[in-house]
Amino acid sequence: MTHLTSDELIDAMEAEAGQSKSPGVLEAERMTHLSSCPACQAQLTELAAVLNDAKESGVVEPSPLFWNHFSQRVSAAIDAEPAGLAPWLRWQVLVPLGAVAMLIVALVVSVPQREQPAGQEQEAIVSAASSEQPSDEWGVFAELVGELDLETASAAGVIEPGAADLAVLHLTAEERQELTRLLQAELTRVKS
Amino acid sequence: MSHESAVAIQPWVLPVKPLAELDDAALVRVAARGSREAFDVIVERHRRPVYQVCYRFVNNHEDASDLAQDAFVRAWKGLKNFKGQSALSTWLYRIAVNVCLNRVSVKAPITEPIESTEHFEDVRIEGAQQAMLREERAAAVRTAIAALPEKQRATLILRTYHELSHQEIADILGSSVGAVKANFFHALNNLKKILGTKP
Repeated sequence: MTHLTSDELIDAMEAEAGQSKSPGVLEAERMTHLSSCPACQAQLTELAAVLNDAKESGVVEPSPLFWNHFSQRVSAAIDAEPAGLAPWLRWQVLVPLGAVAMLIVALVVSVPQREQPAGQEQEAIVSAASSEQPSDEWGVFAELVGELDLETASAAGVIEPGAADLAVLHLTAEERQELTRLLQAELTRVKS
Repeated sequence: MSHESAVAIQPWVLPVKPLAELDDAALVRVAARGSREAFDVIVERHRRPVYQVCYRFVNNHEDASDLAQDAFVRAWKGLKNFKGQSALSTWLYRIAVNVCLNRVSVKAPITEPIESTEHFEDVRIEGAQQAMLREERAAAVRTAIAALPEKQRATLILRTYHELSHQEIADILGSSVGAVKANFFHALNNLKKILGTKP
């Protein structure tokens, strides 16, 4: 029969030492081998002796005064950590805000198109896409949302009816101020 | 540090309890909602074992206290991700071991010389010479442990001094129970070799 494996030696050692938490269990057949194999027994004795040595080596305890000092250090280190995102920058706020901003952009983009004569419409779109917009993707996006107004978006199920109003109603003063700033920036950018 | 402020976890069910009387799970819930007082209690309750894990890793007080502090800062930042799948202590050990493994891999451990170690045992009970020899042996063992390969060291520390199960250690180290037992076996064998070469 083969000698005990490293796993089995650990199980046997912990069973012998009365390891309190989840000791390994050695199969009866392997226990029989262990009881009749001097090599395995010698290895087990050596392992147990080293483990005992290890258990007897306590940690050098710091001064009792250290612990309060340690707690204060942890507290100071947490204070020094950079703060996370502002509480109002949550996705629950940002998603409706983004939807509102997109709708405003869509409305603003669609208004001049209706006022222009049909012949100039295409030219205006091409001109806007080529000279003012930063990328081709933005031009495609502008074309896609060009005819989309709030009612159409609601009817298409893109947004739930009243979702934008509801989102705005739930904003705090700080959030409303930020929304105003975003919208004004967007209007200025589109008009320029 | 005083923790007299009281927090009601579920005011309609439980009476208001001082933070220090809450169990770990309740403290985590309160701390995860941003209560620094609750986290202070967690630190107070677990700082010693977390420090000891770190000390066993690096075998010197300065690094151990830095590592333990780092572990608690990370725990504070990650508190919302702790869902109670394991005991809080096991989760903190996991963080401490990871902090140690990261730090140790970029910095060789500086071990305190045997002569500088202090002992607080009552030397009146045994002869001073015997106590000194015992402390020297203990210091040699600590130095030998700090010289073990990282995973063997982590396994030996968590199993021998903190009595974590093989499965818990496997979860912490991201390995299997078989690998944990093999690491433990090799750790003891290496310890034997290192100590065997000491006078």
